[in-house]
Amino acid sequence: MNVYYSSPWIPAEWIQAHGFEPRGAWAAEDFGRGALPLAAGVCAFSEAVLRFAETHSEAAMIFTTTCDQLRRSFDVFAATPGRRAFLFNIPATWQSTAADRMFQSELERLGRFLEELGGHSPSTTDLANIIEHRGRVRQDLLELAPRCSARQFAEAIARFHENGSCAAPDPVLPPAAGAIPLALVGGPLTVAQGDVLDLIEAAGARVVLNATETGERSLLPVLAPGDFRDHPFAALARHCFENIADVFQRPNTRLYSWLKDRLAARRARGIVLWVHTGCDLWRAEAQSLRETFQLPVLVLEADEMSGGSRREADRIQAFVETRR
Amino acid sequence: MNAVPRKLSLTDWDERYVQLRHTGLREPPYGGPLRRHVAQERDYRLEKLRFDNSPAALRLWNFLLTENERLHQARARGEKIVGSMKDLGTVPVMAYALPGLRAFYPDGAWWTPCLMECSDRLLQQAEGLGIDASFCPVRAMLPAFLNGEHFPRPDLLICSTGAVCDDFSAIAQRLERMGFPVEWWEMPRRRRPDPGEASCALPGNLNAPQLQVDCVREELRRVGQSLSSLAGRPLEEAMLADGIRRANEVRRRLQALRTVAYSAPGAPLPALEMLVAEMLAIHFCSDREETIAVLGELLAVAQARVRQSQFVIGGDAVRIFWVNPVADLRAMNLLEDWGGRVCGSDYMFAHALDLIPEDLPPLEALARTALADPMVGSTADRAARIVADCREFGAEAVAVSRIPGASHCAREGEIIREIVQKALGLPTIELEIPPICDAMLPTLGSRLQALMETARARRKK
Repeated sequence: MNVYYSSPWIPAEWIQAHGFEPRGAWAAEDFGRGALPLAAGVCAFSEAVLRFAETHSEAAMIFTTTCDQLRRSFDVFAATPGRRAFLFNIPATWQSTAADRMFQSELERLGRFLEELGGHSPSTTDLANIIEHRGRVRQDLLELAPRCSARQFAEAIARFHENGSCAAPDPVLPPAAGAIPLALVGGPLTVAQGDVLDLIEAAGARVVLNATETGERSLLPVLAPGDFRDHPFAALARHCFENIADVFQRPNTRLYSWLKDRLAARRARGIVLWVHTGCDLWRAEAQSLRETFQLPVLVLEADEMSGGSRREADRIQAFVETRR
Repeated sequence: MNAVPRKLSLTDWDERYVQLRHTGLREPPYGGPLRRHVAQERDYRLEKLRFDNSPAALRLWNFLLTENERLHQARARGEKIVGSMKDLGTVPVMAYALPGLRAFYPDGAWWTPCLMECSDRLLQQAEGLGIDASFCPVRAMLPAFLNGEHFPRPDLLICSTGAVCDDFSAIAQRLERMGFPVEWWEMPRRRRPDPGEASCALPGNLNAPQLQVDCVREELRRVGQSLSSLAGRPLEEAMLADGIRRANEVRRRLQALRTVAYSAPGAPLPALEMLVAEMLAIHFCSDREETIAVLGELLAVAQARVRQSQFVIGGDAVRIFWVNPVADLRAMNLLEDWGGRVCGSDYMFAHALDLIPEDLPPLEALARTALADPMVGSTADRAARIVADCREFGAEAVAVSRIPGASHCAREGEIIREIVQKALGLPTIELEIPPICDAMLPTLGSRLQALMETARARRKK
């Protein structure tokens, strides 16, 4: 059975170790395709998650508590009896032992949910092997980044979240010479929205950092074997929770630390902020990003999951021109 | 001087105030004519509101509108100011248990643009700080922190996070980046216990896994340590237990007031005064003991009026259950002008109206109460309480008020309406109320009147 999840912060290793296929919902080909009937104020991404879950009733769906809208999408979905849905409570705080314990207990609860679905209780060895394998794939992906276009890299990450694999894109495209280095920062970038990366690069820029929720930021560091072989569950829980770097965290300093190192190392000269319609958490960061990194920020609306409007293209082009 | 209950304009109140003074009205130190708040604080909205004519209502309004003054006076006396954010009713119980601390909600600044009819330009200033009109009016809090005109800068800022509104969480994070350090504490999204899982009862006929209660209790312990450091003395269990008892005194009076006001055949007090009275529960308007006195006087008025069958709104008015607070206070007047009355409410802090258990260790009791917050659980849980209250108070219709830009409003209204309709068959409506709703009066009026007509038509069946 496929087990879809709405956020890359859900440890896919744990799902796989129970005998299921973990699949990031946003990475599915049919996620967010077509026009969505959006009521006022509804976040387009949370609506897409809800619609996706409704059309994949044969699968199980894991929602997260990371934002108001996803929590309420779960409420809508779970209102129909018999649906295989789980709401994973990811703590917003990270500086207390209570939050740490909460994450671990949620992972245990997820395990019980998966067993109720017919999954098996994972052995220590199996879980450790899966952690090791997925870590290796993440490392391969990170090494791939400098050798492909932003879109190719994003698609490779999406494929990893979709089926756990890493395949080098063919042909590998060299970076454009003289392109303006930009960072794409923000909420989830779905497969259906990949056009935006082409638009940015077609405008004469190069996305040197894809820091969307589903981009490079979703590739957690690799755990050293010595750190997890004996107690893989505890190590996985701790590692995942310690390495979440996202906008919903309070304070969200981990996100800023993560960005700081990479923006500097890759000499980004501007930030494109990718905001889903109705997402308050990211929209509120525009000014803080400008002030913190002293970089210009272009706010790009995900526009009901369509990444390729003329207006967006013009705005991107103008932004890149200002950075020459 | 007793008078037939009715609503007065601010001008009517000028005259009424003079009469009351002539007949020996005794007021607390913050008393005085309501008009002065327009002159001194630029609370222009008062000129558009209509108020209950009782001295108890005068006291309530004066108490509400002098909070900033009260906080500054407290600071001048050397007391420490705690800015509690988002939890609506928990941290202030702890803060007031410690001598020398005053807690208030900077969140309350969301009503400032309404009261000042936007003359303060707080919403525009918030836009300049990166928080535009796509956010809820609580964004007014940001510039209010900077200009210091609406509340003193707190000595300690504490904010609950996790299962809270995104708007507020995002704005509070922006505040921290602007140089106002925040102590965050985790509020998990409340869930129903799994089969066989250790669980416990919460106020409001809810239950939750013990694990979640433990998490909140530990977080509150951390908050308590910060409060203790600020106060310069430990928050001992006995002190907290006493603080809970006093908070419960507030809640008991409010419960009695709500029962009297909402179950009476007519409304003994207007909806607006009831809204303000309920708001006192969350942080006691910066003076817990005075809150008890203010509510006691209001309760006495409501009881006397019911005994005498004297109502501000007659028995024919449509009984409306109101969900969410209104950004423009005038909306509560308008509802009554158009033939309705409020007979029940969920202003997003039902947990602050429930009694905090006194037979449990104090932190455990507070944790359970905090976790009963209607906004941290499922919308279905919230709707279930609304359904129960609608039954108790005989609601004929439900109005869900949308807060412009508020992330939780995007979906919850639809869910609540669906559950209410299914359980009770009541007509429901969703209305968006901006901070100044004057320009929307025709739309609001026609929508509310349609709701009333539908409810009245059901009476005839």
